[in-house]
Amino acid sequence: MRAIISDETKVRLRYPARAVGILGAVLMIASIMMPWAYGHEALDDMGFYGAPSPLQVFFVILPVIVLLLLAAPLVGKPRLGKFARALAWNTSAKTASIAATATVAVALIDIAIELEGLVNVEVGGWLALVGGIVAIAATLFLPDSPEPTLDRMKSPNWLQILAIVVLMGMLLFTAAFALSLDKAGQFLMFAAFLVGVVLVLRQVGVFAWLGLAAANNNRVLVLSAFIVAFAFPFTQNGSDANMSIASQVLIFAAAALGLNIVVGLVGLLDLGYIAFLGAGAFTAAVLSDSAFATVNFKPPFIITVLIAGVVSSLLGLLIGAPTLRVSGDYLAIVTLAFGEIFRITMNNLDGTDGPNLTNGPNGIPGIPDLNIFGYDLGAVHDILGIEIGRFANYYWLMLIVIAVIIVVFMNLNYSRIGRGWVAIREDELAAEAMGVNAFALKLLAFAGGAFLAGVAGSVKAHMDTSVTPDQYVFLESAFLLAAVVLGGMGTVMGVLIGATILKLLPEKLRFFSDYRLLVFGLLMVFMMRFRPEGIIADERRQLEFHAEDEELAEELEEELITHHGHLNPERKGFDL
Amino acid sequence: MDLLDLFLQQLINGLSLGSLYALIAVGYTVVYGIVQLINFAHGEIFMIGAFGAYATWMLMGQPTDWNAPMSILVLLPVLIIGGVAASVTVALLTERYAYRPLRNAPRLAPLISAIGVSVFLQEAVRLFYGEIPGFPTAKSAIPFPSIPGISGSAFQFGGVTVQMTAVFTVGALAVCTVFLWFFVNRTKTGRAMIATSQDPDTARLMGINVDKVIMAAFAVGAALAAIAGVAHGLRYSNIDFRMGFLAGLKAFTAAVLGGIGNINGAVVGGLVLGVVEAMATTFIPGQFGSAAWKDVWAFVLLILVLVFRPQGLLGAKVVDRA
Repeated sequence: MRAIISDETKVRLRYPARAVGILGAVLMIASIMMPWAYGHEALDDMGFYGAPSPLQVFFVILPVIVLLLLAAPLVGKPRLGKFARALAWNTSAKTASIAATATVAVALIDIAIELEGLVNVEVGGWLALVGGIVAIAATLFLPDSPEPTLDRMKSPNWLQILAIVVLMGMLLFTAAFALSLDKAGQFLMFAAFLVGVVLVLRQVGVFAWLGLAAANNNRVLVLSAFIVAFAFPFTQNGSDANMSIASQVLIFAAAALGLNIVVGLVGLLDLGYIAFLGAGAFTAAVLSDSAFATVNFKPPFIITVLIAGVVSSLLGLLIGAPTLRVSGDYLAIVTLAFGEIFRITMNNLDGTDGPNLTNGPNGIPGIPDLNIFGYDLGAVHDILGIEIGRFANYYWLMLIVIAVIIVVFMNLNYSRIGRGWVAIREDELAAEAMGVNAFALKLLAFAGGAFLAGVAGSVKAHMDTSVTPDQYVFLESAFLLAAVVLGGMGTVMGVLIGATILKLLPEKLRFFSDYRLLVFGLLMVFMMRFRPEGIIADERRQLEFHAEDEELAEELEEELITHHGHLNPERKGFDL
Repeated sequence: MDLLDLFLQQLINGLSLGSLYALIAVGYTVVYGIVQLINFAHGEIFMIGAFGAYATWMLMGQPTDWNAPMSILVLLPVLIIGGVAASVTVALLTERYAYRPLRNAPRLAPLISAIGVSVFLQEAVRLFYGEIPGFPTAKSAIPFPSIPGISGSAFQFGGVTVQMTAVFTVGALAVCTVFLWFFVNRTKTGRAMIATSQDPDTARLMGINVDKVIMAAFAVGAALAAIAGVAHGLRYSNIDFRMGFLAGLKAFTAAVLGGIGNINGAVVGGLVLGVVEAMATTFIPGQFGSAAWKDVWAFVLLILVLVFRPQGLLGAKVVDRA
């Protein structure tokens, strides 16, 4: 790309290019005041003059960013002051134009499909597309900006905290809005917009700065994230449909976080992880008040959770103790075999092929709702005038579970144990030579991960009200693994994002359900080839996957020093 | 039926089942021996072999009225060639596009990629096989063409019934083992494979094209898996897109059992696994001896082997080379 338009041309044409780019942005902004479609069925009804639909309003954010990025430098370098070099103005404008055009393209394709034919795209839609293409073409003629250095700039602490809080608020609003879109086309257009915004912010350097701010105010970040997540049910106006999806996402995420310890931190590939979730679910089911429960011992749920966790971790020890010594690829297949053993066993313990424990393929239905300290999770509660339904209750319960898991994970990650795990992952022999008890630590990770899955499973049993063996097949283990890989092995944020994407997209894109697994398979292959470290990269991981990339190594080294300086305040001038 | 007959009967059943596992297991072991990759998608290569053979039969105009000698001497070899062609093509494509780019990546990367390939191949067959004009949809099981003289035929040997499909499977394994031995020990490519598995860097210095050797390993494994696919189709008289998962897992168990990386080990491991499975369903008393538990016993065997003899029955190599 760079070679097509020479740098001299870019410098010579920078003012006309800027003008044309601004024209393109203005065209896009103007377009939302015009109808995009003949007909009112497509997207969220873009058929009016002067009355933009919500999606159009969202869309206009991107061209406004283009406009600002292109117009602001016109006031001259001195007035921009330190910002003149800190933001990658031109390159960001290019990214924003491309993102805006892509969003328009998704919208137009959806209009064409839903209303049967591109003729149904009205003047506004075409105007937006033309504006977008003009803006892209113009920004291609702008000189490339240097890398953004926003994160090198000093910023007051209150600004950092404010930014985190605003970001979290926006996250809540975005999540509520995205879930309220029930047509696949709307969702796709919004997703395109979101991805665009994220890419632009990254390009501008906002994310690097936010990363620094988050590292400085870790407590604020974690606390506000939980408050936002806790507040989410209040945005749903008593509707339980979305809360059902959200609570499923949390269960999936909790299991994925457990797997993340095993795969992400210690580097042990577990392909039968869903069996631990299943063990927890079955334990909770047979100990529940269900009429089909086979064990005549009904402890309160608090005890059941612990028993479920312990049963799962015992299974983890049982499978881990013999196989963790041989490690490597064998473990993957042994755990896979273990997953199959679990499923077949649960199928067979039906009274004919074995003692009756699980009712075989029928499983255990009719598991009653939980009642914790007098709070009935099955009932609808009225809090602050907003109805909180059954799934919202379970959502909160899972939130608590996830909070515990995240706290455990974060503390482990920076503890002696966590560093031992990472050392094992990077080089087991060297780690052992340094006095790390590799076998014990691996076993601990295996049992600990299993415990977390067991806990999540026990909640799942009550939330789903029934447990059957066919919920715990290999494919589910593969999905969990995919969530970890997609999001970023060894990171909490990445795994949460990965789990959300993998659970949310199939719910919102129903038309696509038949091709879900096909795309999933391709995604795994492409991720491994092009971004093995996942969406959110763990710094150490990234280096591992790009061992030969010297530039990246230096870059990360520098980043580690600037970002994590707070971890070692007394060693300011230390060079690696 | 007295106990000896029962034992012999289960031995025959176990050997024929084990031959199926052994044919697939060779693919795991050859590839692992050279690139240290568990080719998780190998079970799907086996499935594609069966579907390739079925496609060949469809393209021949679904011949059903051939007499026994013609079927065995002409139809069956043609089906096998069709299946082999399909699975070798797919195996080479996956090697080229999913594994080769990851050859120097950490061990986890190709394994995860292989899982992706496995899911992708299953789904591709499920969704698109029926889209070929005239082909039945693969969303449910497809009846495999019967070969007169093999399908459904059997003969009595003392008190033991021997299915012709079992004879075919064991025979196929025997022929393949001989060919494989000849290929590995007596051809240039085969020796290059041995050299590469011992030391890829030195092999490269000696002028061996390691890429070609790896492709040859994938191709050999895929060819044997395709033959197993046809044998599976004849034995169970239907094929479906999921058949590769369990068969692949069992075959991998067989490869580990025999000592992964060791070709003879894969054959022995497959036979042992088949016999153990058949015996377990007959001689384990009580509820746990029912057929529903046979897969469990196979996997328990895998775990036991890894605990007590991680190098496998015939293996002498160090297990963990990571």
